[in-house]
Amino acid sequence: MMQWTSIVQKAQSFIDPANFTLPSLSTSDRNPSKASLFRQQFRLPDSQNPLQEITADLILPVPHTAEQSRPRPGNRYTGRLHLSERFICFSTQPTSFLPGATHAHSTHWAGPTNGAGPAGNGFTIPLSAIRRVERLNSVSHVFSLALTTWNGALGKQPAGVFVPQRFTLQLDGSRQACERFCDGLKKGLREGMKEIENLRVVVNDCYSEFLVTAVKSKDQSGENAESRPPPDAGLGMLFRYPGDARKLRDRSKMRLWGEYFRENGRNATLIRQPTFHKLIRVGLPNRLRGEVWEISSGSLYLRLRSPRLYTDTLSKFSGQESLAIDEIEKDLNRSLPEYAGFQSEEGIGRLRRVLTAYSWTNAEIGYCQAMNIVVAALLIYMSEAQAFFLLSVLCDRLLPGYYSTTMYGTLLDQKVFESLVERTMPVLWDHLNKTDVQLSVVSLPWFLSLYINSMPLVFAFRVLDVFFLEGPKVLFQVGLAILRVNGEELLEVQDDGSFISVLKSYFSRLDESAHPRSENPKLRAITRFQELMVVAFKEFAGITHATVIEERDKHKDAVLDNIESFAKRTSIRNLGPDSKKLSMDDLGVIYDRFYEVLYDRLQRERVREEELRRLEKRRAERTSTLGPPADHEVGRVGLGPSPSHMDYEGFREFLAATAKWALGDSPGPSRSPSGASSGAAGWRGFGRSPSPGRPAPADHEFMRRLYRKWATDPDEGLSLQNVVHGLARLKGPRDIMNNIQYFFTLYDDRGNGTVDREGILRMSEALLFLSRRGFDGTITPTQTLDEFGHPDRDAQPSEPLSTDERFLGSVSAFIRRCFEYADPSTPGGSPGASPSIPADETADKLASVRIGDDDDGSGDLLDVGDEATPVHHRKASESANPALDPNNPLHITLPTFRMVILADELLEQFFDAFFPRSFRLSVDSHPAVTAASTLSRLRRGASGGIVPPGRGLRGVLDNIVTDGIRMAAEVKKRMDEAQRDMERNAVARGDDDEDEDDEDESAPLTTPSASTPTTVGGMSNWGAGAYEADRDLLEGAEVLSVREKDAASLLDESPEGGLGNGSRESKQSPSSDENRRPGSSSPHNSHATDKDEHVVSKVEFDS
Amino acid sequence: MSESTSANTPKPSSSVKLVLLGEAAVGKSSLVLRFVNNDFQENKEPTIGAAFLTQKCSLPTRTIKFEIWDTAGQERFASLAPMYYRNAQAALVVYDVTKPSSLTKAKHWVAELQRQASPGIVIALVGNKLDLTNDGNETAGESAATDEGATPAGEGEGADGENQADEEEEEQEAAPGDARKVSTQEAGTYAEEEGLLFFETSAKTGVNVVDVFTAIANAIPESSLKSGRGPGAGTGQTTLGGARPAEDSRVNLGERTAATAKEGCAC
Repeated sequence: MMQWTSIVQKAQSFIDPANFTLPSLSTSDRNPSKASLFRQQFRLPDSQNPLQEITADLILPVPHTAEQSRPRPGNRYTGRLHLSERFICFSTQPTSFLPGATHAHSTHWAGPTNGAGPAGNGFTIPLSAIRRVERLNSVSHVFSLALTTWNGALGKQPAGVFVPQRFTLQLDGSRQACERFCDGLKKGLREGMKEIENLRVVVNDCYSEFLVTAVKSKDQSGENAESRPPPDAGLGMLFRYPGDARKLRDRSKMRLWGEYFRENGRNATLIRQPTFHKLIRVGLPNRLRGEVWEISSGSLYLRLRSPRLYTDTLSKFSGQESLAIDEIEKDLNRSLPEYAGFQSEEGIGRLRRVLTAYSWTNAEIGYCQAMNIVVAALLIYMSEAQAFFLLSVLCDRLLPGYYSTTMYGTLLDQKVFESLVERTMPVLWDHLNKTDVQLSVVSLPWFLSLYINSMPLVFAFRVLDVFFLEGPKVLFQVGLAILRVNGEELLEVQDDGSFISVLKSYFSRLDESAHPRSENPKLRAITRFQELMVVAFKEFAGITHATVIEERDKHKDAVLDNIESFAKRTSIRNLGPDSKKLSMDDLGVIYDRFYEVLYDRLQRERVREEELRRLEKRRAERTSTLGPPADHEVGRVGLGPSPSHMDYEGFREFLAATAKWALGDSPGPSRSPSGASSGAAGWRGFGRSPSPGRPAPADHEFMRRLYRKWATDPDEGLSLQNVVHGLARLKGPRDIMNNIQYFFTLYDDRGNGTVDREGILRMSEALLFLSRRGFDGTITPTQTLDEFGHPDRDAQPSEPLSTDERFLGSVSAFIRRCFEYADPSTPGGSPGASPSIPADETADKLASVRIGDDDDGSGDLLDVGDEATPVHHRKASESANPALDPNNPLHITLPTFRMVILADELLEQFFDAFFPRSFRLSVDSHPAVTAASTLSRLRRGASGGIVPPGRGLRGVLDNIVTDGIRMAAEVKKRMDEAQRDMERNAVARGDDDEDEDDEDESAPLTTPSASTPTTVGGMSNWGAGAYEADRDLLEGAEVLSVREKDAASLLDESPEGGLGNGSRESKQSPSSDENRRPGSSSPHNSHATDKDEHVVSKVEFDS
Repeated sequence: MSESTSANTPKPSSSVKLVLLGEAAVGKSSLVLRFVNNDFQENKEPTIGAAFLTQKCSLPTRTIKFEIWDTAGQERFASLAPMYYRNAQAALVVYDVTKPSSLTKAKHWVAELQRQASPGIVIALVGNKLDLTNDGNETAGESAATDEGATPAGEGEGADGENQADEEEEEQEAAPGDARKVSTQEAGTYAEEEGLLFFETSAKTGVNVVDVFTAIANAIPESSLKSGRGPGAGTGQTTLGGARPAEDSRVNLGERTAATAKEGCAC
């Protein structure tokens, strides 16, 4: 079998010589990347990637220690030799991590490993530990390398005979493949030489080094061997190790390990043979336990890479405080308090330092209860630095997500465990279900604290011995075995309480004989713990790493969903009193959208970083073709700490998903044209795909104001609470006054209750911006009635206009009225003071602009319904209102603003209904989707600001809209010009309202379509994009024209679904009719709309 | 009243699942330990996941066997909580009277339970660590008031309890050594609004601890009581967390009753 696979692999390496240069970017599936599988198998640090691999034979020499007494041949293993940047690894597990290898090939080790652990027999040796590589001459054209290591040669050179560790590798591949491997090795060795000092430091901390050399020197120089103090092998050296050393046969285990180390190398240069695994299964001796954990878990290699990380971290953060530290402090006195070492300052100090250092290096996890217990247990057998690195391997690799802030890994593995119980012990499972005993409440602490808190310590450590070698599946095997062994008793249990007490009494008698009444003394000698181990690893040998991975995959989404709904509930509940103004559904939508945007951005950010890093790496190291894996999961609340604040960019996206008007008018510049039409399919993919088809959010000054208004600290960003608070003000109980005031304060830059000229213009821009995608039926003008009521009044009788057109008029009237009713800001100057000449001219021009508007029929006509306007208007154009004089700074106050708004029916409705309602929360149809499709439709249409002939109504309206904008821009232009004049004239005048956009004054005027995101630029920008938006808006108009009004508005509302929008709508329509025109009746109204319809289509026909 | 008496006069016995919730280190486990073992440990091991204990409470008409799930308090363990309060008939939401944030957390738990737990769950709000306040400084004595606002009445220091609506700082100045930061009135008012039982306790001195459980036992509607699940289930205390043989001691009921002869609850 093994031969067959090696043949296959050999064949593959022949077939695909490009293997080593092909980049593998296929991380799209759920499978972890090959690189991460590789690292997992050999327990390598995250920096390592599979660079080269080849089938090879490992030939070990005849052990020099045994040469005279029992001559035996050296062992020979066939397997796979792998090379990473800093390591050479050999394993009898026939795995392959080449880009071309199948997933099954890469996960070969995930199957039953027969106790050998994922790395099988073989070695994982840092290249820095290799002293010499010789190519052996061989007769049979076999490519053989002899490796000599630094094993034992790094410390004080022992006197006398020193036999260096030396073994042979026979590469089994094409000459070309072998050469390539050797080249890679050569390069790695050169790099590795730089790390030899690290190796020396780390190795000298290893107890094995002390053990072997001490014994040696004892042999040579008699009794003065204890000259060097033994390295730190944990608190056990000071406070005794748990358990009875004699009963544990510690001494003979020590002897066996000493022998093993001498024959097979130690610590960094250890070679794993079957004895290694057997020695671990029988339990590690106290003083070597920590070190072997380090080797089998791979934490040794982390320590090797940065031996001083632990002490550096401690000194770097010394004296700093954190939440984690507070939490750690609470638990220090209650971590394995029954162990003497943790009743002393020494033990508690070590525990504090390790937990604290880890919380600094991994802030995402920080500190989780249960870590204190695990680390306390580790510290009995290892030094602080060793425990620090082992903890990091535990959290990152062996217990993924266990200690995260959502503990999803813990919950997930409970689900996995439950499903394994169901599968392997269906009868017991049924019984538990029937009696309503929840298994996971019992088993959760087993996994979370690695049985340390459940079994007596001596036994828990035996489980740990195997766990570090073979991985997480061990926890499941032991758990299943516990239930199996106690199966009969558990079947009689009726409730949680008795379930727990059965297991508890079992754990307390683990040291007793499993067969106390057996005749056979050998059988009688078997303890319950031994029996447990046998059941776990024999009977449940079928539970492999692959099983666990598969089950985790199966349950992951459900577990995360549960956590997320819990997190959502909690989060929504804690949003403060403002949130009560919004419905639960609305809050839910805000919550989802908020995190959707945050994670989406996070994901895109990662992808970008990833790409950059990959590019950089490829440039730097040509050999390393495999990019770093993207297997670090992000993108779900359930996975751990989530980003909590949204910057302005994120806020734009949030708004774009909430309100139609916040969608950009053109797709982002970075997007390919085809991307825009591909639709918004990826949108709901919640951070899983960067969803390139989404239209870019708009960027308007109004949005920025909203952002600043909502944020507690704009630099920090918006929290969920900020967003809810902001929306609650707008979407809370309907209150037009509140909305008007809110809008006003958005522009009250100085916070003194006034808005100046600049602000007024910005307000009008915002009104146009907000309205440019139509009103969705929230605004229903009634002035048509008026028109019909006084047909004689109008020179151009009833060219009926759509709501959108009318609104344009309203906005222009808004500007006019604001200026008209504004108060001059200069306290000394009287309102009627004679303006200077240039200003006078400007005022005239202003007036003429307005007259021009009148002429082309858009400006005034729109105001026909309003009785007040024409009068004011005439007044305004005849005599220049001093407030219109740009030389006179002016301002409006809230009451003025309110009056101006309420004076116009459309604006009133705008603030009463449209503005608050334009923020869509619990709606079925996503505004982004509709907008995206509109956009793509638009893109297919003609482009350019000029209306092509024969475009009918559309063209007419386009012109009107553009005129409206032109009007606003013109007003602004005049203002700005006058302002400049004034500045030229008046020197001493300190200016109040021009501090923001000095450089914008002229630029946008000359290049109206410049896309500078500043105010004026924004204005022209909007002008440029307007024709598209307008057409969008007109599509709405056409719909309106075909259908009866009420039906149309109903239709518009219908996708909004839940949340009583419908009811609100029905309330709104009659009320707006009534309070505006008490005399009018609804049928009349609908009749008018009917007429409307006819005329509109006529217009279309005409043109 | 000891177990033997209740055994002699067979009363209907029923078990009640009770869950303890609250911020870390407010003394949830200590309350349970006091109730179950009449014991107090200064350095209690933090609860991993949850600990399970049982204790009987004898009422005039029936015996209630509490199956107590004592949950871990660290914030991140919150996502495990639904596993434990599933099917619970009663809940003890605990806060620390010296730590205002713990009351906020307690309110969240109350909201969570009201929305997610079984309908009709009896919730008691418990302010623990009364021994750190002036009210609790007098040794565990009479604690008759079992109704809302269970502040021990009388005595000069007790008067402070009346003015606890004052600012925390003032309180601090007025009564040095009084670490109280949450006034009885504040928590009491909240409890009343939400229809919770309310107590202030000290697991250290034992003040009011048994009363909480007795009040809960009384508040459980008769209809929702299942009959006891087999007498064999035992009164044993079983902690998931610490299964060390050394700790494996059974509840000594005799001793306990001798130590705190309490009305109503014979545990």
